[in-house]
Amino acid sequence: MNKSIINSVPSEYEVKPPSWATRVRRGLPLLMSLSVLAIVVLVSRVLQPNFFDRAVVRSNISTFLPLIMAAVGQTLVVLTGSIDLSIGGIVTLVNVVTVTLFGLLVGMDGDGPVLLALAGGLLVGILAGLVNGFLVAYLRLQAIIATFATNFVWMGLALYVLPTPGGSIPQLVYRTYRGYFLGVPVAGWLLVVTVGIWWVISRVKLGRYLYAVGGSQASAYATGIDVQRVVVAAYALCGLFAGMSGIALTADIASGDPLVGGPLTLSSITAVVIGGTRLSGGFGGAGGSIAGAIILGLIRNIIFFANVPPFYQDFVFGLIVIGALAIAAVGGVRRRSA
Amino acid sequence: MALNGANFACAPGEVHALLGANGSGKSTLAKIITGVVAPDAGEIRVDGQTVTVSGPADMYRLGIASVYQELSLIPQLSVAENILLGHEATRACLIDNRAIWAQAARLLEHFSRSLGRSLPIHAVVEELSPAEQQLVEIAKALSRSPRLLILDEATASLHSREVEALFELVRGLKDKGCTVIFISHRMEEVFRLCDRATVLRNGQTVATVDLKTTSPDELLQLMVGETERPERVHKEVSPGRVVLKVEKLRAGRVLREVSFTVRAGEVVGLGGLQGQGQSELLKAVFGAYPLESGLIEIEGRRARIRRPADAIRAGVVLVPGNRAHEGLCLPRSTFENTTLPSLEHRSRCGLLSASRERRAANEVIQRLEVKVADIYQPVSTLSGGNQQKVVIGKWLLNNPKVLLMDDPTKGVDVRTRLELYRVIKELCSRDVGVLINSTDNAELLAVCDRVLVLYEGQIVDELTGDDLNEANLVAAGLRMTASAHNSTRGETTWGE
Amino acid sequence: MRQLPSTEATGLPPGSNRGIPAKRWLVNPVLVAFLLAGALFVVGQVLSPGFLSYSQILNVLRVASFLGIVAAGQTLVVLAGGEGIDLSVGAVMSLAAVMTAHITLARDALLLRALFEVILAGLILGSINGLGIAYLRIPPLVMTLGMAGVVQGLTLVYTQGQPKGRAAPLLNEIVTHPWVMGIPGILFIWMLLAVAMAVLLSHTSFGRRLYAVGANRVAAALSGIQVSKMIVAVYALSGVFAALAGYLFVGYTTTVFLDIGGDYVLRSVAAVVVGGTSLAGGTGSYTGSVAGAVVLTVLVAILTTLRMGAAGRQVIHGLVLILLLAAYGRQRRLRQ
Repeated sequence: MNKSIINSVPSEYEVKPPSWATRVRRGLPLLMSLSVLAIVVLVSRVLQPNFFDRAVVRSNISTFLPLIMAAVGQTLVVLTGSIDLSIGGIVTLVNVVTVTLFGLLVGMDGDGPVLLALAGGLLVGILAGLVNGFLVAYLRLQAIIATFATNFVWMGLALYVLPTPGGSIPQLVYRTYRGYFLGVPVAGWLLVVTVGIWWVISRVKLGRYLYAVGGSQASAYATGIDVQRVVVAAYALCGLFAGMSGIALTADIASGDPLVGGPLTLSSITAVVIGGTRLSGGFGGAGGSIAGAIILGLIRNIIFFANVPPFYQDFVFGLIVIGALAIAAVGGVRRRSA
Repeated sequence: MALNGANFACAPGEVHALLGANGSGKSTLAKIITGVVAPDAGEIRVDGQTVTVSGPADMYRLGIASVYQELSLIPQLSVAENILLGHEATRACLIDNRAIWAQAARLLEHFSRSLGRSLPIHAVVEELSPAEQQLVEIAKALSRSPRLLILDEATASLHSREVEALFELVRGLKDKGCTVIFISHRMEEVFRLCDRATVLRNGQTVATVDLKTTSPDELLQLMVGETERPERVHKEVSPGRVVLKVEKLRAGRVLREVSFTVRAGEVVGLGGLQGQGQSELLKAVFGAYPLESGLIEIEGRRARIRRPADAIRAGVVLVPGNRAHEGLCLPRSTFENTTLPSLEHRSRCGLLSASRERRAANEVIQRLEVKVADIYQPVSTLSGGNQQKVVIGKWLLNNPKVLLMDDPTKGVDVRTRLELYRVIKELCSRDVGVLINSTDNAELLAVCDRVLVLYEGQIVDELTGDDLNEANLVAAGLRMTASAHNSTRGETTWGE
Repeated sequence: MRQLPSTEATGLPPGSNRGIPAKRWLVNPVLVAFLLAGALFVVGQVLSPGFLSYSQILNVLRVASFLGIVAAGQTLVVLAGGEGIDLSVGAVMSLAAVMTAHITLARDALLLRALFEVILAGLILGSINGLGIAYLRIPPLVMTLGMAGVVQGLTLVYTQGQPKGRAAPLLNEIVTHPWVMGIPGILFIWMLLAVAMAVLLSHTSFGRRLYAVGANRVAAALSGIQVSKMIVAVYALSGVFAALAGYLFVGYTTTVFLDIGGDYVLRSVAAVVVGGTSLAGGTGSYTGSVAGAVVLTVLVAILTTLRMGAAGRQVIHGLVLILLLAAYGRQRRLRQ
């Protein structure tokens, strides 16, 4: 009826992008995790003189990539104020399914449909994510316990597909994963792809709705956003990233292991929290989580290179992790009460 | 149960006020129109066509947008992101931030111009003042280019200049044929802005009137209804020494230098419109709402109350306003809820005797005549009135000196209500001082010796004796001065 | 679907109104759990004759007892609400077990000292959980998962990767040897614990307040209960029970390995849920968890008799949990 007062925005209307001060303030948690990352990199360089060597960089990226991808997936779910405790299970399931598909379809010489096998792995991840999303959004189960339960389903299925560690993948695949393309490690390119997907997600409507739902479900609902669909999408995308993580992991270890992904659940959540994303939802981003994941990986290396006695390494690492979680959580509390 | 047979219609290009006393169902009606609340029965017609609504998204499609009383903003997103939330401009599927910033700036331009300062479109909403947030909420509703705009208490947190800016905007919308539904507790604004008004009372529509031909008095009459003389609850005792003394309580904009006293055996009411700081005042005295400054004395001794446990020890107890969320542990039994705050008095080395506990619970249940089939069944199985008796009863075993009550008879039937008044009277005869907030004026008139009227966090009036009547209460709450109680020649003037 | 009265969401902190039961069960969930346990025994008997023999029942109960003891702490934590969950019980149990074996080195005389040290360790670790959750506001899930990592590391440090020692003969005798009518000592201990828990929950101020805190934190705080202290207490107790379970478990296995308690994390949560304790907090009982522990153990026993591998058992565990959640723990709709 009445043509709105806004539809006709004059082109000369002045639009100022956010000032740098505003951007820095909003990106503070990301900046903080990047600073921590810088420190950790520095320490690594000191303890490990060849840290910046081509081979070391390649090896580090290919080792960290599975966690990085899982952390990005976890971020999407956490932004909506939910959580996925089954991400380790999904990664494991993808790992054993991909290895099995390689065995069935491709063979070790790699002259079969490699991409089909990889697509199969990704599909498993997405499907698992959709199931999680359905349970949480439509059956309205508590995310914590529902995904805790599905984790055991995925782990059980993984055990069913591949009861004992083993299997192998075509040389082509792990050679490629450990190789270089245009002078940059292939794993590095995959990291770029991961960042690219996150960049796209954060710039389409869905990305903004993830924040809206996590910020206030009631407000998002009153604004006409389909909250349930957003939550399902978050879980499905988380499944996709878990699938990618599973494939990267498979390429890295070059075999299947029905227990391999377990620790990724806690690590991905830790990376998300260290990266400045609030577990209550609505604030943060995958950039921080990627930094968080790299920080976690490097700290493990540092503990190793700092000659911490082998049996103390897990303990020291655990203490650092819980300390980081506590600091992040306390920061979150202060923000909210401020 | 907020609405029961409400009918409402408005024409294009009209500013239509929705009026009613506290709890008459204004906000619920507004939320049904926007699809946030599902009605049990009834229909909505737009342009004469019956529409089916399954949620807020449908309403935007019909050209209806609302400014919500509790706001619908996402605290962590920026102003621009909030304003265009749900219908962002895109370019090749990607959000076009420049377009969004431009649209947001455009939508806020009106306010920026009339206020002489620009609203920061990139600021995060949670860092804005309540007034700024309110303006963002208004811009957000406007971004939908509504044919029907609902403003639910949109002026509550605005200052006068911002209100002027809003009015100017509403008049502009009206000229373009947009309908505006205006809900406000400020009567003066209603008269200045609106063409017609529909009055709601107890969830029913009473009348729709043309405001040009209606006097404030007549409107007041419609909102209040037949002035029924509520039975005054007579008490034998006259107030004794001061049991509660409150001095200069401050808490931001919510409480501004509130001072008063309550005597033993006295019932003091907190009146005025809903949400003027009454609940916060009661909670602050109970140690459940943070204070910036102020002094509380119990029986002449200064009390340091930092948490409810301190207040309870000092003899101050609270019957909170929302029994489901604050008063009761619904899944637990009547028995447990009744005995919870006084367990300490009866436990021996932490152990409780089943029979002693049962006796204690039964004592309360009999004293308050709680109708309960089985005291071990969840308290959620009780009727609303009986639940409320449990919320009050759980404090009796503590022998309180000061009883704070926040709207204790909300959603309670008439008979139970009278029983509760009897309980209050009985407590008074035991030298308990009672401070009671009520959204029901009849209740204040029935039980109170004195009523303090709050407006925007301050005590603006105190009514006692003959001045304590319905007309004065409503008028004081609306910042009007009614010179007439039920006299026909009375005239009404506006307060400041 | 029956709605509880007055579900308007005003001024309510996030999470405090989660999971209002979608429907009331016609019968007591504890009874349902016990009937389920009984039914499973019968199913076992049908599938494999001899399953229902006296000795086999005692055997199942003996295996269930360790789960039951861990579930005692888990019950308290879940009852306290606020998305309460303790995922560090497995790690604490493992640490307690290796400590027990290490300290006693098969000598009866050192059993009491081992018990004291193990319980102290559980108390400290649990208290740290509680402090982090109550005062630093770290979500229970994150806090206890993080703590699990720390405790696993601690176990590694303690053992230097190689757990040594074995159960003291007396401990083994207490746990496995029949006392009266073929009933082993561990079952008497479990029974004693069950009685103690029942008294704690329904006949002490602590228990009453715990239920109130779990049912409605706001109302509990407005009734003068110091909620944070209660939360620290339940996590501390959960650590103690996990440690106790680890201590006794050594008497059953006689030898130890690093992740001896790892299995008990999910299973303790599942036992609590099967026993009818609401994950939203505030309703449930330890008796239910006892039944839940028995149900889960019988289930595993049946699946084992059917030669179902670890894979099938995990999947079925997960599915059972999801099913029970769907029955008990649904959340509120967005549209009112």
